[in-house]
Amino acid sequence: MNKTWLVGIHEYKRHVFNRRFAFGLLSVPFFILVLIGLIFLIISMENRTRAIGYIDHSGLLTDPLPAPAVEPPDKPVEFLAYPDWESAEAAMVADEVQAVYIIPEDYLSSGTLELRYLVPIKSPARGQFYDFLEVNLLAGYDPALVERVNNGSEIIIRTLDGSKEVSSESGFLGIIVPLFSAFGFIIAMFTTGGYLVNAVVEEKENRTMEVVLTSVSPNQFMAGKILADIFIGLTQILLWLVFIIIGIRVASNYFELLQSIRIDPQLIVLCLVILLPTFVMVSAIMALIGATVGEAREGQQLTGLLSLPIWIPYMLIGLILENPNSTLSVVLSMVPMTSSLTMLIRQGATTIPAWQIAASSLILVLCAAGAIWLAGKAFRLGMLRYGKRISFREIIGPRGEVTP
Amino acid sequence: MTIVEMNHVSKTFGTVHAVDDVTLSIEKGELFGLLGPNGAGKTTAIRCMLDIFKPDSGTISILGGAMSEDKKDRIGYMPEERGLYQDITLERCLTYLGSLKGLKPAQVRENARQYLEYFDLADHGSRKVKELSKGMQQKAQVISTLLHQPDLLIVDEPFAGLDPVNTRLVKDLLREQHEKGVTIILCSHQMNMVEELCERILLVDHGKAVLYGRLDEIRKKFSGNAVTVQTSANLPSLPGVEKVEAVNGSMKLTLASGITPQEILQRLVNADVPMDGFNISTPTLDEIFVNVVRGGRKTA
Repeated sequence: MNKTWLVGIHEYKRHVFNRRFAFGLLSVPFFILVLIGLIFLIISMENRTRAIGYIDHSGLLTDPLPAPAVEPPDKPVEFLAYPDWESAEAAMVADEVQAVYIIPEDYLSSGTLELRYLVPIKSPARGQFYDFLEVNLLAGYDPALVERVNNGSEIIIRTLDGSKEVSSESGFLGIIVPLFSAFGFIIAMFTTGGYLVNAVVEEKENRTMEVVLTSVSPNQFMAGKILADIFIGLTQILLWLVFIIIGIRVASNYFELLQSIRIDPQLIVLCLVILLPTFVMVSAIMALIGATVGEAREGQQLTGLLSLPIWIPYMLIGLILENPNSTLSVVLSMVPMTSSLTMLIRQGATTIPAWQIAASSLILVLCAAGAIWLAGKAFRLGMLRYGKRISFREIIGPRGEVTP
Repeated sequence: MTIVEMNHVSKTFGTVHAVDDVTLSIEKGELFGLLGPNGAGKTTAIRCMLDIFKPDSGTISILGGAMSEDKKDRIGYMPEERGLYQDITLERCLTYLGSLKGLKPAQVRENARQYLEYFDLADHGSRKVKELSKGMQQKAQVISTLLHQPDLLIVDEPFAGLDPVNTRLVKDLLREQHEKGVTIILCSHQMNMVEELCERILLVDHGKAVLYGRLDEIRKKFSGNAVTVQTSANLPSLPGVEKVEAVNGSMKLTLASGITPQEILQRLVNADVPMDGFNISTPTLDEIFVNVVRGGRKTA
């Protein structure tokens, strides 16, 4: 077997079959679960299931139809009729109802309701009362019409060439899916990149590198490590995807909205032509950092610095979404460290012209090649330099001087 | 057949001449000693040999030509500062290092098993390297160097950190490899080991080759003009003897210039001195090493 692959497989096994990797892998789904749990907790805290009272002067709720069923995590609120304010107020003071709606006689013409409470009423309960009122207002009308009114309108915005369409109901998912894809990718890229830096520094520190380099060339060694880094990252992403798909499948039984998640083909293209070369480039830079620095802590600091420009598009997300084809958006799409996140944010909001994808991809491929070349030079210069860092000038110099 | 040949090799780091015009030639099957004080340039010379460093000038031929990736599989190198993967098991570490030398996993396992048994490490194969004692790691490093049965073995301080029992094991192993025809370059500060094992040596100091050749010839060259006489009698004053001193129960006689040991023996016999032994005094390699290095520093 080619020695590059031997190095790669060794590195891959060393990191993937390791407790630290398992923790890293499970931490993201765990974090998502905690986040979902928190959302549920907040929603349930918003839900006061205490009944709501009403005094109907309009006669619309004399013989009321029941309120429509609510979807989880909302809980149904009971609606109690009171003949006058005195009895309603007594019920409210006795905490039998959380609030009282007074429907005036001229409600149909004025559309005005009066709400009285001791503690402000939360929006889910308010929403349920409106649904209850709506059902009763529409009583006697054609059921198809009632359903249409209840469902509201869904506006679909479609591009002129028909390549992209966004629904007003599920449109935000079109932005969230690529955005989360980018987050997952960046986290995986820097987690595995961190492993690579640590592995190289560790091999320098414990002198394993000198033994290995009498068996393989520095280029084979570095290439093996970069390959392993990419495959470790892809393994991580793949396993996260499995978790996410299972999660969505399960959750879509409860949330109809999730059933409308669709993966845009352009997102897949972007993953292949933008994210993959970015990964190669960052891996090579990580190998470069590992070969350059003298100790692991220094490597971690540099890795942290390197991750900063990647997040610039996130800080400018409002501007990019507002105008996804602006000069700023296009420029950020072309800069190697910002292109991956920018492209994925834009993908949710517009159809990115093919030439821009091609140009950005080409720039990334060239930068990845340059980073590999630099990493190769740094490896030869820094592989046996224990506890000492090498300067950038030495790396890019015509003939770097190696010191033991 | 010449296995390693260095011709006027120099390597400079900034203003430091780590290797300065070193020339040497090592023949097939030889057990060659590379000596020198700390920082003399031994490791740099080896790294140049192994193509880890490119020399500034001079030429190096190894295993019959320039270093290539294939040749790396025929070389076993144990650096002075040991390096094994700490967070994996010993077996896995050896399998990986062996496979990098072109061995198939089954071959590595078989060779590793034999060496692990030889070094009494067979029960420790499934332990992580970091859990092994320093001595055990040292032996594991020796195993990783020999796993692929190299034609050329370069070992830097192979006895460092070993107890007397394991020192003997490694020494026997080196002898065994030597008998098999493996060419061995031994770097060591332990002069007694070099004296015991090597046929030829190169002593480097400040990057320069200061002594090079057969060990017996070097010792002869440095023997000076002295003899040791084992006698219970008081030595008479002998012409041609400059100094008499007691050394380890014998008398060491330093001879005047131009006087040979044979003439002194004749004079002792003529003087009826009873003798239990008469030897031409030869210095130990340790003494030669100290003298040459100290001498070099005085003149530097």
